[in-house]
Amino acid sequence: MRTAYKVLAYLVAAEVAVQAMVVVWFVAGLDKWVEGGGVLDKAAMESEGTPFPQVVGIMAHGINGFFVIPGLALLLLIISFFTKVRGAIKWAVVVFVLVIVQGQLGGLGHDFPWAGALHGLNALALFSVALYAGRRLRGTTVAVVEQPEARTATPV
Amino acid sequence: MAGHSRRRPAGTLSSGFGRALRIALPIVATVAIVAPLGWLWQDSRVPAAYSVMDMGYPDYGVGAMADPGMSGPGGHMQGQMPGHHMAATPRLVTDMVADPTRPADVRVDLVTRQQMLTIGGRSIPGFTVNGMSPGPEIRARQGQLIEVHLHNESVVDGVTLHWHGVDVPNAMDGVAGVTQNAVPVGGEFTYRFVAEQSGSYWYHSHQVSNPQVAGGLLGSLVVTPKSGVAQQVDVSALAHTYGGVRTINGKAADLRVPARPGQRVRVRVTNTDNGPMKIWASGPYRLLATDGTDVHQPTEVSGRSVTVTAGGRTDLDVKVPSDGSAVRVQLSKATAVIVGPPGADAPMPPQPTAELDLLAYGALAPLGFDPAHPTRQFEYRIGRRPGFVKGLPGLWWSINGRLYPHVPMYVVREGDVVVMHIANHSGEVHPMHLHGHHEVVLARNGVAATGSPWWVDSLNVLPGETYDIAFVANNPGIWMDHCHNLKHAAQGMIAHLMYEGFDTPYRIGGPADNQPE
Repeated sequence: MRTAYKVLAYLVAAEVAVQAMVVVWFVAGLDKWVEGGGVLDKAAMESEGTPFPQVVGIMAHGINGFFVIPGLALLLLIISFFTKVRGAIKWAVVVFVLVIVQGQLGGLGHDFPWAGALHGLNALALFSVALYAGRRLRGTTVAVVEQPEARTATPV
Repeated sequence: MAGHSRRRPAGTLSSGFGRALRIALPIVATVAIVAPLGWLWQDSRVPAAYSVMDMGYPDYGVGAMADPGMSGPGGHMQGQMPGHHMAATPRLVTDMVADPTRPADVRVDLVTRQQMLTIGGRSIPGFTVNGMSPGPEIRARQGQLIEVHLHNESVVDGVTLHWHGVDVPNAMDGVAGVTQNAVPVGGEFTYRFVAEQSGSYWYHSHQVSNPQVAGGLLGSLVVTPKSGVAQQVDVSALAHTYGGVRTINGKAADLRVPARPGQRVRVRVTNTDNGPMKIWASGPYRLLATDGTDVHQPTEVSGRSVTVTAGGRTDLDVKVPSDGSAVRVQLSKATAVIVGPPGADAPMPPQPTAELDLLAYGALAPLGFDPAHPTRQFEYRIGRRPGFVKGLPGLWWSINGRLYPHVPMYVVREGDVVVMHIANHSGEVHPMHLHGHHEVVLARNGVAATGSPWWVDSLNVLPGETYDIAFVANNPGIWMDHCHNLKHAAQGMIAHLMYEGFDTPYRIGGPADNQPE
């Protein structure tokens, strides 16, 4: 369970890094396309095609942000109930809340661009917290837990 | 360190209870999270075949006559719908047809195929009507009966034809699973309707419409007034994006229209894409019509753009300059209609920052009904929230706070004066399209309309905006009222307007595999 917790927490952090990468990759591709005479308006944005290859970046950002990362955060939260490490649940909750906030800020950014700026800032917070949640369990042993059922856990 | 806990004496009553609790608690917590998700998931699933009559809950609006047993949202697929119990023998959508004895004035054969298209030198998978995309333009004079014979040669998912903006009899509306079955490969269907109102319209498939319309299964429909078109040149410009390539009338290039200096030109712009598009001209223009309805006393406009929403039509009147140059109508910055003597050009006019506000354009005119005393008032609040639609998790569009299929069925009676309050709190623009009716805009963000009656069938509702619209329930049947960003429709942004006592024999899904979105 601890290994699963660690892996999930690190995965969330890694996914945040991926999110930052793909969205900038998309913006860079968009800029290059516009420089070459491409026109982007809502009609073009909503078309099925890919006017430039980096459109995949924003699609990946959406799928990751809507499905994959919330899924990972939810799994992390569930796993945290079984880790028997003090604070594991707390930090999984913090990760989960930051993921929810991140999604809301992303959506809100369509109405209020300042929310987009906070979306960028919250990403750093989420990345740090997820990394910390994973690293907290580094070297943890059953010592922190004094429950009998900790017997089943393998000391690190 | 682990040894410490092993040495701990166990087996006392309290520690036994504590251990049980410690095992049970995480499981309970997990169930507390997973069970509601599981319930939401199963609740969002739809049967393999279902009637739109069993979808969501009936909304009788405010102002409706209070009938016992008619109130309250059911919210379940199996909820009783008014069509099922209001009338002993419900009228069927299939009964609503044009006079079957009347011969057709305009007869058109349309053959649909699934094939590769060549757009701007690129090969793109798509659809054709009579071998081309867009399909042939259908032209009729006001009052004529149009008869279209549809033959599906090779579109695997089946096709239908919806006459976007034309208030056809319900059976001719072309919505798979509501007004007909999808026409399978080798199948046929005949559409008959009278072109009552002159104006610019278009047709497109309403079976698996998101990919089929994007792939080009569409065409233009123009109904000219009995008195004829006032302008000397009359041109249709159907804007469509094929696989990311912007086109006018299927060509990835500007549309050049020959005209003599001084001539007046009617440019009928149709936006067949999923998002709104801005248009503007190199010279002054008058906005003649929106969505097939003439503007009353349109004035000349300069330096302003006009938004043509997805599915919407805007007719502009421009004049070819007398100095031998051309007049240019930009359909976004990507493409333009260039009208003038052969070889003449005009530089691309910069995109205006100001926009023509149709709320205060043209002169007031009688509506033909009194929206100040509606007999029904509805709300169509668009939101976005996490949840499940058709078993899939996501951030989905909601209508009045609910997700598909638990969406309202707006119930009206023939003759009702209906006022609908549309509010968009979803963070994205939505081109709202009501089938079978034209709606007049009463107010936007609470500011009343002061110009010509602004009639629409496709309304651009920006994030944060509210609209009050009104219409007369004068075309009985069951009608879609949905977002014409067809991707959003496919994601469940669909409600229906139904007349009391109506029913449909068709099913979404089922053997015909009807998928209107």
